[in-house]
Amino acid sequence: MTSACYESVRMDNELKNILASWLLSVADDELLLGHRDSEWCGHAPILEEDIAFANLALDEIGHAALWYGLLSGLLGQEPEIYPDRLVYLRSPGEFRNVQLVELPNGDWAFTVLRQYLCDAAELARLERLAHSSYTPLSEGAAKIRNEEIYHYRHSEAWVKRLGLGTEESHRRMQAALNGIWPYTAQIFSPIPGEERLVEAGLVPPAKEIGAAWEARVIPLLYSCKMLLPEAVPVELARDQHTPHLKVLLAEMQSVAREEPEAEW
Amino acid sequence: MSDTQWTRYQVFLQEKPGDPYQDVGSVHAPDGEMALLNARDVFARRPSVASIWVVPADAIFSKTRQELEEHEIGEKGQGLPANQATLPPLPAGEESGVRENYHAYCKPKPSGTQILIGTVEAFSPEEAMRQAIASYSERFPAAQPPFAWWVFPARLATQSDPQEAESLFAPALDKPFRLSTDFHVITAMRTIKIPGPGVRNQKKDDPLITPDS
Repeated sequence: MTSACYESVRMDNELKNILASWLLSVADDELLLGHRDSEWCGHAPILEEDIAFANLALDEIGHAALWYGLLSGLLGQEPEIYPDRLVYLRSPGEFRNVQLVELPNGDWAFTVLRQYLCDAAELARLERLAHSSYTPLSEGAAKIRNEEIYHYRHSEAWVKRLGLGTEESHRRMQAALNGIWPYTAQIFSPIPGEERLVEAGLVPPAKEIGAAWEARVIPLLYSCKMLLPEAVPVELARDQHTPHLKVLLAEMQSVAREEPEAEW
Repeated sequence: MSDTQWTRYQVFLQEKPGDPYQDVGSVHAPDGEMALLNARDVFARRPSVASIWVVPADAIFSKTRQELEEHEIGEKGQGLPANQATLPPLPAGEESGVRENYHAYCKPKPSGTQILIGTVEAFSPEEAMRQAIASYSERFPAAQPPFAWWVFPARLATQSDPQEAESLFAPALDKPFRLSTDFHVITAMRTIKIPGPGVRNQKKDDPLITPDS
């Protein structure tokens, strides 16, 4: 990475647009995961976990707000209005999240394992973003990293206990892994033009994040006696979605779309 | 009916380094580490916290002032915690009856909370409590001894790691709506509550009545 600090005004339009796509991808992942997590509010296995998971959902949505805020700044958009428009008024085809975070929650094993794998990916990304040549990115990453360290600890504790728990909990965890694994490759699939961002020292390469993620999660999964499925993960572009996204957005956006000009 | 809940852990928070740990309530958890995480999410989501201890509630040997006045400590039927048999065994190689550290807590007033007062070395919870009372009672007025005492073996407490304090407790500090004063509902309610002339007397029992209603 270069030591020069990039100002958004010094970026050419192409670079700015690629960075905007990158920020949108990261923010959309956080938003959708946070939304899925929030669906557990009132339904988690025990009261304490209900509180913990709702808290975690709020954190993820908070992280999304931070990235949408940076995106607004980069594009010269109004930071009080633009993020709301992105969240509430885009159609499913305009979202850039990975499919993994739009899948329905399934059982608690599925939820906990998805959370763990996403926390590990986010942590690996944040650790590397600390060296970004674009100050808003390095500062933003530093701000949310503490929270993500805690998320990782929480979801890892659950994976260990369910993975090594009863026959039933282990069976459910393995079933969850079989279902989730093919979707993970999309997280580390580079967005078009990523090489320019990497060259400018703005963001770490997606493949590097993926390698760090594998080095962290695979030993943990093995230590829980879980087996990686043989199905080869498919790298899809981020404009490819499952039908679940449309259903999720229809609910999430319903109130805002009733009254698009309302002030909150 | 048997209790199908996980073990109940008592939670103690330290607000700033050097402050005494105070009892804040309890959480259920399958083990100490999960109890610590649950305690963080339930009790340290907003307030300033430097450190957390959790201990199985069954491990706490408890006596109120009244119990102490009526019975000797350790008298039959009054001595051991109810579920002493379910406590984890002593470290391997050590038989029961070894001396070990006990944390001693007391509650100065009936309406107050249990506050860490010191640590004593003893063979049993009963001895630990006798020592705690002997060592620390002088800190209270003779006419007003503490309302209740707690002791538990230090080895049964799970503590937050000081190196993890930042990820456990720092994020709470820059959350919006951290303090009750951050919520504007109270001020908004006061505005609504300001009644027109005479309304207060007419509808005394309805605090939210507005002049128009």
